[in-house]
Amino acid sequence: MLIIFYHADCQTYSISNNIIDESDFYMMTKQMSQFFSRFNNEEDQYGVKYQPDSPEYRDNKRRAEILPILFDSENPRTNGKLRDMFIADVTSDEEHYMEFLGGEWFAEVSATFLWKNKPVSISLILTVEQENLGSKWVLTNVIFTEFNKMFPSGEMAEREKHFLHPMSHELDFFNIHKAFRNPQYIEYYSSKNYYPDYLTLFFYEIKNGNLTFENVDAVKFHIFQIGNWYFEVSWFNRTGHNAGWLISNLIYLKDEEKTSLLKFYQPK
Amino acid sequence: MKRIFLAVLMGVFMLASTEVKAQDISPERKQAIDSLALEKVRDLSKYIKIVGSKDTPWSEANRVIERVEELFAPDAEIGVSSLSSQKINYYSVRKYLERLMRLNYDKVEIEWYNIEYVSDLQRQPDGTYVGVITIFQTFKGYDKEGRLVYKDTTKKDITIYVKRKETQIGGRLIGFWDVLLGDMRVKETTH
Repeated sequence: MLIIFYHADCQTYSISNNIIDESDFYMMTKQMSQFFSRFNNEEDQYGVKYQPDSPEYRDNKRRAEILPILFDSENPRTNGKLRDMFIADVTSDEEHYMEFLGGEWFAEVSATFLWKNKPVSISLILTVEQENLGSKWVLTNVIFTEFNKMFPSGEMAEREKHFLHPMSHELDFFNIHKAFRNPQYIEYYSSKNYYPDYLTLFFYEIKNGNLTFENVDAVKFHIFQIGNWYFEVSWFNRTGHNAGWLISNLIYLKDEEKTSLLKFYQPK
Repeated sequence: MKRIFLAVLMGVFMLASTEVKAQDISPERKQAIDSLALEKVRDLSKYIKIVGSKDTPWSEANRVIERVEELFAPDAEIGVSSLSSQKINYYSVRKYLERLMRLNYDKVEIEWYNIEYVSDLQRQPDGTYVGVITIFQTFKGYDKEGRLVYKDTTKKDITIYVKRKETQIGGRLIGFWDVLLGDMRVKETTH
């Protein structure tokens, strides 16, 4: 028979002579959904939702108290003045709330694939896209070093050597064979606006059977929804009150920096 | 003709909008759906305990596995990983429970923490609402001398599907919200 002894705020009890401290699990940010709710102060400490018309709902004073628990307290980057600046900014009079369908947040899924029968690590970038009556996660980019190696930025001096002169058309482009002489430089013959589309390369390799999925290794999130800030949310599987989905990196970004970073996560 | 076509199109659009609006979930309705989903998750917890127990006769465990299968969508998968290996092993609901049934311990204790976290519900493209319920479980395996030989605490994230359905009662169509469990992720914690 189980005898359950409740102690302080019903969070510590014993089962079969073993003390179980539930407070760790209450404090843990258990889902990204809870990260959003805590970030916006839409639920109490037990995870019970506030009604949107209640005074606690999205109350900035309370948010300022709660937000520190959403940061990895063991990392100086997310545990100092920058964090305090972020919290002050987010809880100012301006509206800085996270929205599931608000866009500008991405998942990075680090996964193992077999590439030509060798295990390789590939990061898949996904975002939430609205479709018909709801939404779904869609792939927006991939990070795979073998693809990057295929398209190195290259030396400017080398790039400048490779082009088709502007009167090539008068020669029926008979000189175009030069572009194909060395495959390493083929992309130098494209427009300056050309960027390799890694997602298409990825699909091509999958369709050709060169890449096969093995396993998901880790997941983290990149958030750009809040003004001039970028932050990363990672999973911390550890004991204590600072665990679960927590902010693992925080950067203040100027508008142009943010635009260029966003292009990496969602090239098109 | 063009005008009639436009009027019809507007009508369809307005109907579609009413349909979407009618399916929006109020906070009160969400609470009722959460309770229904939690009831299913509690049933699942109870059934896992029965299947895992060495005192449960084989035939009874098999009967309970069938009850568990009824809680889940037909193609639901269970993905399990441990602290020692991040690799996720995939099982069907039946395989997962049969594995639990066959574990090589003389006595097994399965306890659930009093924590249940229910996510917001989001709609997928076909209009079905999807959510996730998180629960925590401690498993202990003992040998025949009564020594604890294995212990783990796992976080279980269970998908829930919520669909508006209709049924006929006494010749009248009655609408109701149906909850079904979907894929479940089982991850070992450091506790």
